[in-house]
Amino acid sequence: MATGFLTDTTVCIGCKACEVACKQWNQLPADGYEFTGDSYDNTKQLSGTTWRHVAFIENPKKRRLTGDVDLVALAEDVTEPLPGGAELDALGRWAFMSDVCKHCVAAPCQQACPTGSIIRNEFDNVYIQPDICNGCGYCVPACPYGVITQVPNDGRAFKCTLCYDRQIDGLEPACAKACPTNSIMFGDVEDLKELAEERVQQLHDKGYTQAYVWGTPEVGGTGGIEGNHSKFILMDEPETYNLPKHPYLPQEKVKGGVIAGAVAAGVLGAVVALAFRD
Amino acid sequence: MSDATRQDLSQSNGHVGNGRPETSHHPETDAKREDKHYYGIPPIKHAHWTWQIPVYFWIGGIGAGTHLFSTVAQLLGHEDAALKRASRYTVLVTMILSPIFLIWDLGRPERFYNMMRILKLRSPMSTQSWSLLMFGNLGGLLAARQAASDGLLGRNVLSRLLLKLIPERLLSVLTLPFGLFVGFNTGNLISATSVPIWARNWALMAPTFLASGLSTALSWLSLVLHLTHSGEAKTLRALHRAEKATIVIEAGLIAASLVRMSRWGKPLFSKSVAPLFVGGALLSGIAAPAALLFSGKETRGKSILSSLLVLAGGLAFRFSLIKAGRISADDPEAYFSFASGESAPQPEDKV
Repeated sequence: MATGFLTDTTVCIGCKACEVACKQWNQLPADGYEFTGDSYDNTKQLSGTTWRHVAFIENPKKRRLTGDVDLVALAEDVTEPLPGGAELDALGRWAFMSDVCKHCVAAPCQQACPTGSIIRNEFDNVYIQPDICNGCGYCVPACPYGVITQVPNDGRAFKCTLCYDRQIDGLEPACAKACPTNSIMFGDVEDLKELAEERVQQLHDKGYTQAYVWGTPEVGGTGGIEGNHSKFILMDEPETYNLPKHPYLPQEKVKGGVIAGAVAAGVLGAVVALAFRD
Repeated sequence: MSDATRQDLSQSNGHVGNGRPETSHHPETDAKREDKHYYGIPPIKHAHWTWQIPVYFWIGGIGAGTHLFSTVAQLLGHEDAALKRASRYTVLVTMILSPIFLIWDLGRPERFYNMMRILKLRSPMSTQSWSLLMFGNLGGLLAARQAASDGLLGRNVLSRLLLKLIPERLLSVLTLPFGLFVGFNTGNLISATSVPIWARNWALMAPTFLASGLSTALSWLSLVLHLTHSGEAKTLRALHRAEKATIVIEAGLIAASLVRMSRWGKPLFSKSVAPLFVGGALLSGIAAPAALLFSGKETRGKSILSSLLVLAGGLAFRFSLIKAGRISADDPEAYFSFASGESAPQPEDKV
């Protein structure tokens, strides 16, 4: 059975409970007290010590607030016509998105790893074996989502394990357990896929036609990655959430590169041989 | 909504400034936020590689090119003792230094042997480790035989055994593919990543690295032979000719790479990399030595100068590519534009 996450950003309230739960359960060190000044999000990004990260997309649109405005409806981003002919959308959207390792079906980090430290475990999750990793760091630029980093002072690379230890004991990952709005759902990938489709349909019916699933082989799992086990329901362009629209598997071209190199070797060998002719 | 709020809001409607109610909930519209990025935070992470990696790329290329030249000479029946000696010891030294630099760069150097746990053909880092192991050990055997025939190991049983048991010609040929692989696979090592400037150039990266490696190797050999006043006239003539041809091929490959990189190649011309790339790699590493090689009669002084320039240029080229890769990875605009359409390499692409 393949397990994964479905993160429904439409119900995320940005409480960061998942970040905290992840840090606590996995005993991850703090990243320091930083103040970005960009938004209320001061943890910025995923890294070897931040395996869940909640992005705060403060995305005001240039729209005007007129008429008798219902603030609650406003906060909920209701698009239905409002009583009193009030126009809505003035606040734009304040979106939250709990980002995590995508657990790619064909994982670039796993293919890049020269030690075989990165494996697929029995739950079909991409897992770094910390006792084997020698910190070469080659998985870091290979990841198309910037998930992995090498942890300073430790030297090894780390990322979300999808709470391998908890799964073995039949528990759901710490972030999914802590999520108060069920924005983070954990389960069988096939079940989550159906759930995601249902939820997107539900949103479409409500008038949010911009909702879609990111992490399918068509969106966010492209270019040989064949889809992600961590899927997301998004309401905006992937780039808004710092995600690529059309990522690719970097190792797809290794064979071509080797052939090109071999051809070059032959040509250069011939050039050297010709240089000896008088 | 509470009545109080409703009242507040309806009151504020009477005093709108700039057509909007004055409430603290209303965020300012920031022109900068119109772009599609998350506060400019890089969506991918750059490689941590420090100076050891470009230096390894450089000396690995020299080792590979040197072995290619001496093996071709040997196969063509051109036995030059000075050339062979210079080549064998060069390979030995580069292959002793390379693993040192690579292990130094690891986060957990004491676990370097885990590279030998597994062979993954799709991981250039894995194939690079294995080819380095093979090239280093076979090159080491050749160097040991050379040392024995030079009398460096003394006149004892070991020397006689080395001379007798190592089939030099055969071993040279067997070592060649591993050497060449070390030489060109460094290109694939950087192109098989998510970094736009490197990944975009996947087809030309390996040939460019090999051509540049060969050009630095030829310069190295010519430098050593000139400085030690050794080497046959024929060897020096061949070296000179090969240097001329290789520098032209290298220039062509770099030009083609820049065309291929197109807009994602911009970091090479950025403020922090341009002096190294344009000044170091292109002007003083290719243009100046090419002018020296192609102009007038060949003299010892000119040869030495052009060799030094090519060697420095090769190092500058590798440093500038690694630095440009860091800038490219840190630029959200570059990555998103690269990973949004057909620019990125796709499985269905033909070689």
